[in-house]
Amino acid sequence: MDRLGEELLRPTRRYFLGRAAGLSLGAMALGELLADPAKASRAERNEIGTLAGLPHFAPKAKRVIFLTQSGGPSQLELYDHKPGLEKWAGKELPESIRMGQRLTLMTAKQKQLVMPAKTKFRRWGESGATVSEWLPHIGSVADDLCFIKSMHTDHINHAPAMTFLLTGHQLPGRPSIGAWSSYGLGSPNRDLPDYIVLVSKMKRPSDQPLYDYYWGSGFLPTRYQGVKLRNAKDPVLYLNDPAGLPKALRRGMLDSIAELNRAKLAESGDPEIATRIRQYEMAYRMQTSVPDLTNLGDESQETFELYGPDSRRPGSYAANCILARRLAERGVRFIQLFHPDWDHHKKLTAWCPARCRDTDQPTAALITDLKRRGLLEDTLVVWGGEFGRGVAGQGDYKSPEAGRDHHPRSFTVWMAGAGVRPGLSYGGTDEFGYNAVDQPVHIHDLQATILHLLGVDHTKLTYRYQGRDFRLTDVHGHVVKDILT
Amino acid sequence: MSKRPRRSLDWTLPAIVFLFALRPSWAQGASPIDFTREIQPLLSDACFHCHGPDEQTREADLRLDLKEGAFEDRGGYAAFTPGDLAKSEALARMITDDPDLRMPPADSGRTLGPKQIERVRRWIEQGAKWREHWAFIVPERPRVPRVNDRSWSRGPIDTFVLARLEREGLSPSPEADRETLLRRLSFDLIGLPPTPEEVDAFVNDRSPDAYARVVDRLLDSPHYGERMAMVWLDAARYADTDGFQGDATRNNWAWRDWVVGAYNRNMPFDQFTIEQFAGDLLPDATLEQRLATCFHRNHMTNGEGGRDPEESRVDYVIDRTNTTGTVWLGLTLGCCQCHSHKYDPITQTEYYQLTAFFNSIEETGKAAGAASPYMKYQSPWGKRAVANATEAVNRRQAELRRLDAKTRPAFDAWLTEELAAIKRGQATPVWRSVVAKGLTSTDGTKLAQDATGVITTSGPDPRHDDYLVTVSPDLPQLTGMRLEILPHASNTEGGLSRSDNGHFILTNLKINARRKGSSIIEEVPIVSAIADFSESVKGKAYGAVKDVLDDDPRTGWSSEGSDPRTPRVALFAFEEALPTGDGIEYVIELRHRSLSGPKNMGRFRLSLTDQFGPVVRSLEKPPLEELASTDVPDVASIPGRLKKRLHEQFLAGRPEIVEARAALARAQSQLKEAKRWAGEVGVMVLEERKEPRETHLLVRGVWDQKGEEVTHGVPAAVAPWKEASSTDRLALARWLVDRDNPLTARVTVNRYWLMIFGAGLVRTPEDFGVQGERPTHPELLDWLAVEFVESGWNVKRLLKQIVMSATYRQRSEVTPERLESDPENRLLGRSPRYRLPSWMIRDAALRASDLLTADLGGPPVRPYQPDGVWADRTMGRFRYEPTDGAEQYRRSLYSFWRRSVAPTFMFDAAQRRVCQVRVTRTNTPLHALALLNDLTYLESANALAQDVMKNSFHEQRRIDEIARRVLSRSATGAERKRLGQLYQAALAYYRSHPDDAHAYLRQGNWRPDESCDQAELAGLSLVASTLLNLDETMTRE
Repeated sequence: MDRLGEELLRPTRRYFLGRAAGLSLGAMALGELLADPAKASRAERNEIGTLAGLPHFAPKAKRVIFLTQSGGPSQLELYDHKPGLEKWAGKELPESIRMGQRLTLMTAKQKQLVMPAKTKFRRWGESGATVSEWLPHIGSVADDLCFIKSMHTDHINHAPAMTFLLTGHQLPGRPSIGAWSSYGLGSPNRDLPDYIVLVSKMKRPSDQPLYDYYWGSGFLPTRYQGVKLRNAKDPVLYLNDPAGLPKALRRGMLDSIAELNRAKLAESGDPEIATRIRQYEMAYRMQTSVPDLTNLGDESQETFELYGPDSRRPGSYAANCILARRLAERGVRFIQLFHPDWDHHKKLTAWCPARCRDTDQPTAALITDLKRRGLLEDTLVVWGGEFGRGVAGQGDYKSPEAGRDHHPRSFTVWMAGAGVRPGLSYGGTDEFGYNAVDQPVHIHDLQATILHLLGVDHTKLTYRYQGRDFRLTDVHGHVVKDILT
Repeated sequence: MSKRPRRSLDWTLPAIVFLFALRPSWAQGASPIDFTREIQPLLSDACFHCHGPDEQTREADLRLDLKEGAFEDRGGYAAFTPGDLAKSEALARMITDDPDLRMPPADSGRTLGPKQIERVRRWIEQGAKWREHWAFIVPERPRVPRVNDRSWSRGPIDTFVLARLEREGLSPSPEADRETLLRRLSFDLIGLPPTPEEVDAFVNDRSPDAYARVVDRLLDSPHYGERMAMVWLDAARYADTDGFQGDATRNNWAWRDWVVGAYNRNMPFDQFTIEQFAGDLLPDATLEQRLATCFHRNHMTNGEGGRDPEESRVDYVIDRTNTTGTVWLGLTLGCCQCHSHKYDPITQTEYYQLTAFFNSIEETGKAAGAASPYMKYQSPWGKRAVANATEAVNRRQAELRRLDAKTRPAFDAWLTEELAAIKRGQATPVWRSVVAKGLTSTDGTKLAQDATGVITTSGPDPRHDDYLVTVSPDLPQLTGMRLEILPHASNTEGGLSRSDNGHFILTNLKINARRKGSSIIEEVPIVSAIADFSESVKGKAYGAVKDVLDDDPRTGWSSEGSDPRTPRVALFAFEEALPTGDGIEYVIELRHRSLSGPKNMGRFRLSLTDQFGPVVRSLEKPPLEELASTDVPDVASIPGRLKKRLHEQFLAGRPEIVEARAALARAQSQLKEAKRWAGEVGVMVLEERKEPRETHLLVRGVWDQKGEEVTHGVPAAVAPWKEASSTDRLALARWLVDRDNPLTARVTVNRYWLMIFGAGLVRTPEDFGVQGERPTHPELLDWLAVEFVESGWNVKRLLKQIVMSATYRQRSEVTPERLESDPENRLLGRSPRYRLPSWMIRDAALRASDLLTADLGGPPVRPYQPDGVWADRTMGRFRYEPTDGAEQYRRSLYSFWRRSVAPTFMFDAAQRRVCQVRVTRTNTPLHALALLNDLTYLESANALAQDVMKNSFHEQRRIDEIARRVLSRSATGAERKRLGQLYQAALAYYRSHPDDAHAYLRQGNWRPDESCDQAELAGLSLVASTLLNLDETMTRE
């Protein structure tokens, strides 16, 4: 390699110096501008990619970890304790409560017979929050959490409801909340994408696919879309160099590309070429920064014990929780985990505890870990799914085979960390857990609140498309001020 | 916007004062204000939301989108009074200090700056000329303007462009060199780069019509239709699957071939429109005309469980309407689904009248195979796909036979040795029972292992328990595991467990590997499970042994249904041989998590083997054991069946055979698929119901909130409805392409202009409404539109007009001054320079390397993409197998498009979920990684290097030849020098690392010619890969 090294490393050094000297981001923004001719306005950005004028006010949260529980976890088993249901067991849900709520075709023709919770609840910590016995670890950190028990949404089927939760609209095509945050705020880490997605590896094929538009950039330029880290040899698509290509030759090749591209830049004057040169460099840096991120070998035994046995299995929700903390440490702006299979139409007593087992200890560990590292102060953690589950049993309410159908009118989401009041249980539902009656919080309100914590006024972060200024919260949304510190 | 009541319009003194103060000196010049460009967009942005077409949000009963509203006498005053500032209340309200009166209101988020207000003031002063929105006026052929420079223009396009440049004091760029021109033309018209021979021919052809002949050649190429189709497929949201949860495969690709054919035959655009909207309604409709209507069935279909099909059906009707709006009318009709348009004069009622045309399709709202109406269709291109797939199978079979023959001597030697070992009494046992290093349970069962390896249970018998057995086996490798479950007197009824009936239920088996010193565990993939009792009983959750391989505790293996006093045995085969030694530990996890526990195994033994094939996949006696117990004197006397099993065991342990067999199996399954597709398949088409459905306005756009009933109709502001009698789709299509429709021709020529120039004359190709951008060259747009219609909607003629122009032929180089004065090239004073669409980059690499299979049409193919992309995204429901053989190298147009997971190599592509006509072009590190490491590009570099190596012998000549094939030009001296250095460095490396050269040259299915010097080939391939990654390579300039 010596002969090769001498010839090829010289330009490398020069190149890295050039980069260190800050040959980067101003021109990048310009490049983006030119790459998208339809975008006339000159969006100016600072060195970490934050749009001029943002944040709108001092942010409480520098980053978000969104623990997305896909499928509709049952709030009636997990958080929303309704002891009064026992006396209604097997009786028909009063129409005064149901008020014509639409059902999916799976249960639309059934009688709506009340099914009390299939688990017991406990009060936890000083705050006395009620959390299911199926979630003892989350219960143990309840004093750090803020439960919103009065969430409600407009949609009743998975894809529209999840799309709504993440993009503010039920149809695909709008940017996801992470993409909005990347577009508006960029990220201090320029060696990793601003918005990173981690999906739990499940062995059994899932009924609800996680579409890539859930973390898509919609009409925003694609560089703002979430990058999914795969649990595979190449965590980012095409990250690994091919077999038989040593690092030094790759470097030599990239230097040649850069040099020939610079010559082209001098000849044609197109600033897009400068951007291209930088993106190839960033690609090269990602080949180091991503494996460095995903290699958990430098984590202590104690960490794995904290996050639970599953955390040693790459791709598990638990391992992803450790990754989430590592991403937070690296300053990545928006970190989103997806854990599927909360859709318990049947056999809720078997399945729901299984999902709890997957997620309970690692979720609590993440809160504990962030807190002891001082990261919880400026990291917002959100736990939630696209909707809740109905009070009526699906199938025979007495049987362990029974489950619950989708339910949009009430469910629980919790938040923790930056700027959120710990140990608070906010809002509430009626005695059936059916309607959010006390301080209802709509999906758009939740979105507005998350953006608010990031220092963004949800009414002002807009993007013009098809002649209209679009925003995450459409024309709705109020910040839930009561839960803020 | 706040709902507090506005005070009635009244005139305030401070406003007047301010009004007259507002006259900066720079505004004194009386340059005329253009209403269309300068006033209307401003009013639209600031006012229409509350004073526009939407009656629901209209405030103070005032409309500023219509002339009548703007000038209406409101009792002594009006919003605007021509020439009279003092009587123009709207202006007063824009400048008042009173926050309660100020417009737009502070809480609306809309603002007007002083310069904008000044423009309004001058417009009123100049007489407040009002014009209807430009795009709603039928275009007329404009007069071609006069220009100072008479020598530059080659036709009216150039004169329009030059007039504008001259107005700005600018001049056009010089003509590009011939290499660049040919490369540009080739990409623009057929989506492929020219070959070096084509470049030479054009550069050396000095005849005056050389350029025109090239244009004609390209327009006549069958690849022209493919290039045009790719754009149309984006607009048509074409995909090979349904989308949504099921995302089932559909068979609509024959329609894609219809599009290619229509473009290649130069079908007039009006006909193209009519056939896709209403081919089925034409008199004596042909099969092809009915096929065309698949356009309006390319929307996603949703078969999610529990979803009301009627809701889906309504979605499809809406999708067709919106697609029509975007593609033909350039209007954002989707806005009207919930309310009247906020900016354009289209009411919600008119929107639903338009949906009526699409509302009576004989469809069910269902998905997958139930999305009727279908038509039976057999593609003429299916045979070729079958032939290619057959050839791939034959090649794989031959390869397997070759490997088989090659390994014969090794098999004979192995067998001789094994037999000798048996004779010596040294036969190695096939299964070795494990010696547990660790033996624990999660829920309390006590486990102990005896001298025979049997593990016994005692103590608590909890409802659920996981047994964990840790082992470090002393075997060279591990290929499978045997689990014996043994009855015992201490178990219930002398059975297999301590539970109530002596039966066991094992719900899951997991084996995790852990290396010494590493905290990470890796799960061992287990590919098969068989047992001596394994019954899937319908309605019973526990039975079949294969069910222990999923994560699902609701299913598993059970002895129930058999005699519990019989021992049970199961075999598990690992996906690949596992390493041992080096501190590697395996934790075998036997989970009992059934719903009807406790049913935990009472006694069991685990054994491992290092042997392949029948040993781990068959319950028969392992072949070597059988050999040991059969008394044979020599290899030749081994009975045929036993020898076959021994051979199978031997082959199953050879990685090259395993790989070749898997490749053959893939090729065979592709052949099967190709055969299915070559037969008659159902293509989704339009067909009218006998009884039309009633159409209703949907309140707030909600599918089951029916408002007033409506009948067929079109937005009155666009064009009148002339067909008195007919109200079907055919009539709608004719309305769209009627010469009095002001939009269709403009929108269409704009989209073709966009395709060539990278940006339209209207830069919002999806929105020609009030909020859309105004055209950069309105007269040119109208001229092109009128020409287009008068030529009989002749697409090839239009494209030829465009590419023959001097405007098109300019250089793309840009000076800092030009970049400063016109950064987005709105004035067209240079040729645009933009990155090619990703599909074109891929096709160009295949063409440069000559890997391209340039056939037309046929079923979709699967180009390389990284392992696991489909499986990941769909939680394992779909797996992607790249196509084998020649079909791998088809143009990107033919790539299988799964909506839930778009092809990974198509970055920045349209999403193919809803109609998209706008182009996205971003520049990210992820794209760089794709071009550096995608198999297609690596393989192309290899093939290109080899091709060049065979044809030229000098290093420099070879490098130059690669440049000519990739860049369509010779390399410069500096480039040759730089690439030469890289080549030498790579050559030196690969000379000393032949294994790396070997690996580098085996990307994908392609294999190098081993008679070439492999180090040279690898070095040259790296040069080719470098060139394939240059900015210039991926750029249309």
